[in-house]
Amino acid sequence: MLDLAIFIQNLANGLLIGGVYALIGVGLTLVFGVMRTINFAHGDFVVLGMYGAVLFDLVFGFDPYLSLLIALPVAFVVGMVVERAILAPIAEAPAESSLLATLGLSLIIGNVLLLTFGGEPRSVQVPYASDTVRIGEVNLSIVLLAAGAATTAMIGVLYWFLERTERGRAVRATAENRLGAELVGIDTRRVQSFVFGMGTALAVTAGVTLIPLLFATPTFTGAIFTLKAFVVTVLGGLGRVGAAIGGGLLLGVVEVLGASYFLSEYRDAYGLLAFLLVLLLRPEGLFGKTVKRV
Amino acid sequence: MRTHLLGLAAFVAAGVAYPFLFPSVLTIAITILLFVGWATAWDVLGGWAGQVSLGHAAFVGLGAYFVAIGVTEYQLAPWWSALLGMAVAAALAFAWGWLTFGLRGPYFTLSTIAFAEILRLVAINEGWLTGGATGVFIATLPEPFGLDLFARQTQYWLALAFAVLVIGIVLALSRARFGYALRAVREDEDAAMAAGIDPKRTKLKAFMLSGALTALGGGLYGMVLSFLEPHVLFYLLLSVQIALTAIIGGRGTIWGPAAGALVLIGAGEVFRTTFAEANLLIYGVLILVIVLFAPRGLVGEATRRAIRRRYAKRAQS
Repeated sequence: MLDLAIFIQNLANGLLIGGVYALIGVGLTLVFGVMRTINFAHGDFVVLGMYGAVLFDLVFGFDPYLSLLIALPVAFVVGMVVERAILAPIAEAPAESSLLATLGLSLIIGNVLLLTFGGEPRSVQVPYASDTVRIGEVNLSIVLLAAGAATTAMIGVLYWFLERTERGRAVRATAENRLGAELVGIDTRRVQSFVFGMGTALAVTAGVTLIPLLFATPTFTGAIFTLKAFVVTVLGGLGRVGAAIGGGLLLGVVEVLGASYFLSEYRDAYGLLAFLLVLLLRPEGLFGKTVKRV
Repeated sequence: MRTHLLGLAAFVAAGVAYPFLFPSVLTIAITILLFVGWATAWDVLGGWAGQVSLGHAAFVGLGAYFVAIGVTEYQLAPWWSALLGMAVAAALAFAWGWLTFGLRGPYFTLSTIAFAEILRLVAINEGWLTGGATGVFIATLPEPFGLDLFARQTQYWLALAFAVLVIGIVLALSRARFGYALRAVREDEDAAMAAGIDPKRTKLKAFMLSGALTALGGGLYGMVLSFLEPHVLFYLLLSVQIALTAIIGGRGTIWGPAAGALVLIGAGEVFRTTFAEANLLIYGVLILVIVLFAPRGLVGEATRRAIRRRYAKRAQS
């Protein structure tokens, strides 16, 4: 028999985890929407955020969230430099070139981390790791709530930026129609490196919020998050920010509910199966309106 | 064509001479030969038909597990179970391609990752079949004609035969009607259709051939490892390694994947001794260099230069 309190508990946990997935997916989908590049290094940027927080903890010993003050601007600049140095020169090449370049980038990031930090899993212990807030019958972990709050704040800022600022309008215009954007005087090359910087910053934020919850390993964790980001964006529909948020929340809920009511060992498979079903039946995504095959 | 046949003869000659010259470094040679075969088989789909797969580890794992489970559970000789593995790989490739070849662009690539990943999760969790995360151990192998299949010497000859077989098939393909159909589909599906080629059928055949050959190498790899773990065999990085080997060497060329395997696995081995487990760093750096400066791959770029020089000479005289 389904216990309602446990169900709500699972649902809440799923939504909070899903929020972080959404944050990862939004970065990927933004980059895809503007640059038509599938960024295979996206998960590795998440892991970079995790290791950034680990390093911050080792050096200063403050709360990992404070590391965002340094990590965010650094990630943004690194993203812009990567775009300028690697992706911009091959913008005219066939679509696979950028996919391969980011794949190479992913291997480099993972292996450099492996050389620097070693292969054993790392995490940051926070004093409030096992604290919970009790609402009725439901216990919510502080760490998850903090992750949820950080995610909401980041996505809120992103929405404000995209909808309310001139630069954000330029980003949306470039995503919608590059040639049109160029015709009205938008420097789409600058928009591209800007967006890649934003995508990197979003991924790093997600990594920092996840480090009190999860262990990071240099090469393996990145691949997992890249895969999750793909699942999230394809679930929603590639290239749409709102759809990635929906996809992220859905993936979180599917994973947590699937793991607690079916076979828990297949936790990662539920997301993949959902991904495959959507890919095969509705390649435009669950929340997509038009059939547009890339 | 004559140059390619001469190349194949040279390859076989070098392969036959190698174990007599360096009898003590066979393991690395076996790895290189396996990657020559896998990358060339990958290229049938990825280079000739233009469908980038990042899930070929699934076929390697399938072949390896068929051989291992066949030997340990059913006392089935490895050559029969390898054949069975090939058949199953072709069937899976057919089913997979049939479902996904309607998708164009990056969607097919994404779906292959999910495909291999799901097989990996099955291999980890269905312990009754695969030994789960701990893996399967091949303790005994039959001895056909008194050959010890555990001996590196025997495995070397089998790996050489595998590599030569795959290159031979691709060589035959390059001149066959089917090979032309593949290239036509890669360049422009609509134009190929107008010329009377069924793109989906052509891609399906390429996928099945590619998957079956990869599984054959996987069966051999299972015997070489003799201890099979899902984390190694169905791993995304193995898929990536196979694809990158072919791409760095030169996609859609006959000798590109083989050259890629020689360079990458050789360089990877040097890196393994200096950088321990971070040996994939070289793949990352090389792929960036290739994408930025030689987008056709090593062999592709070299051929282009050679052709240019020939035309330049002809124009002068």
